[in-house]
Amino acid sequence: MLKLFKLLGNKRLFVILIGLVMFVALMGFTLGPRTNLSWPEKFLRDTVGFVQNIFYKPAGYVAGLFEDIGNMNDIHKENEQLKIALAQYTREKAQFNFMEAENKTLQEALHFTETQLEKYNYEFHIAQVVSVNTDPNNRSLVIDIGGRDGVKVDMSVTSVDGLVGVVSKVSNFTSTVKLITTMDVKDPNTNAIAATALNSQDKTFGIIESYDEKTGKLLMTGIKQEDPLKKGDTIVSSGSGGLYPRGMIIGTVDSVQVGEMGLLRTAIISPSASFVDWKQLFVVFTPEVPE
Amino acid sequence: MMMRRPVLILLLFILFILEGTVVPWLIPDAWQTRIVPNLVYIVILFVSIYNHRHTALVLGIVFGLLHDVVFYGQIMGTYSFAMGLSAYLMGFIFQTPRAPMPIMMTVIILGSLLLDSTLYGIYTLFQMGHTSYDWALVHHILPDVFVHFVFGLIIYVPLRSQLEKISKLNQKEKAA
Repeated sequence: MLKLFKLLGNKRLFVILIGLVMFVALMGFTLGPRTNLSWPEKFLRDTVGFVQNIFYKPAGYVAGLFEDIGNMNDIHKENEQLKIALAQYTREKAQFNFMEAENKTLQEALHFTETQLEKYNYEFHIAQVVSVNTDPNNRSLVIDIGGRDGVKVDMSVTSVDGLVGVVSKVSNFTSTVKLITTMDVKDPNTNAIAATALNSQDKTFGIIESYDEKTGKLLMTGIKQEDPLKKGDTIVSSGSGGLYPRGMIIGTVDSVQVGEMGLLRTAIISPSASFVDWKQLFVVFTPEVPE
Repeated sequence: MMMRRPVLILLLFILFILEGTVVPWLIPDAWQTRIVPNLVYIVILFVSIYNHRHTALVLGIVFGLLHDVVFYGQIMGTYSFAMGLSAYLMGFIFQTPRAPMPIMMTVIILGSLLLDSTLYGIYTLFQMGHTSYDWALVHHILPDVFVHFVFGLIIYVPLRSQLEKISKLNQKEKAA
């Protein structure tokens, strides 16, 4: 040890040690559940976000132009498929309106409280992506709406295809989105998604709590033996117990296996959001719960 | 001539902006989740070799912190620590104002390996990554090294001449 002191010089070693301790303290401090940012952080984030906003969109347009030229052939086919889907939607819409009206009258007849009525009345606010961090261990995005627009920590963010992540930090004009690819069982700060399958909401239930980085798939655990879940089913969030609102599309089932303990089963889910080429996202505003 | 230092900082800031906005669009879709270009860090490595390691340390810490604050997902301070430390260490080992091109390229390769390994280590320490080092190495650290190498080759000539001018300026100031 004394030799080390001599080699580095007392002063330098001292500075290095203090620096190390400071950094460990900083990391430990910021790792925990910290919801509010201090004003220098907010200021820095908003300023940088403003500049990034100027760059990101034009870059996206230029890249998109080249991609569009490449995709010209597929568009005709896609258009046909979309037309078929649209026809189906218009047919279903009539039925949906009937059911919604019926549902409302029934709710009124049963004297639902205001909170219960408003519970699933979500608002989707559009947000532009401002910049992307692709670090595999800490993937995050910056979007251009923030505290001024009513964004709060832990709101869900979806793309057109499906659930993308949750808002992790909010400053006045920008907010950071933590992607669901960072989801991890061992991390005390992440929240698992209570999930169910589309069209069998009352029979299927499972919990999505981790993302396998190697295969790029989500794992849904705790599925009961008698569950009718099968390959190709669409997985949506069930909205029971927590953070994620009801009906967010998460992905499709790749395979269902017997879980680690042997009693419950585990499903492997390929996420429907693509996690590349970000443009618009939607922040889901859930109705305020009166205290 | 006194304008060179602010120009360097401005360059680093612009690179930081490009890194988060334009660069992801240039990378093909399949590689977007694998390549994490850290262009700012490469320029800081140049500063570390041709100017001084202390300057590089400060720049690494400042721009690392900027990265941490803007992309604050779960933890802060990782980039700041990793960029500062590895730029300093690279300068500590290799610093020579007349370093020829092969040495600079070696520094870039070793430096980006060191940076990504430090980041990997920190994330593993705080239980945020659970992949094995072998896998991380093949999956994103080596592709990163390649991208950094190419970027280093591109900026080598213009950046070196600029940095040497800054160094000369410093020596003149000291002499005067």
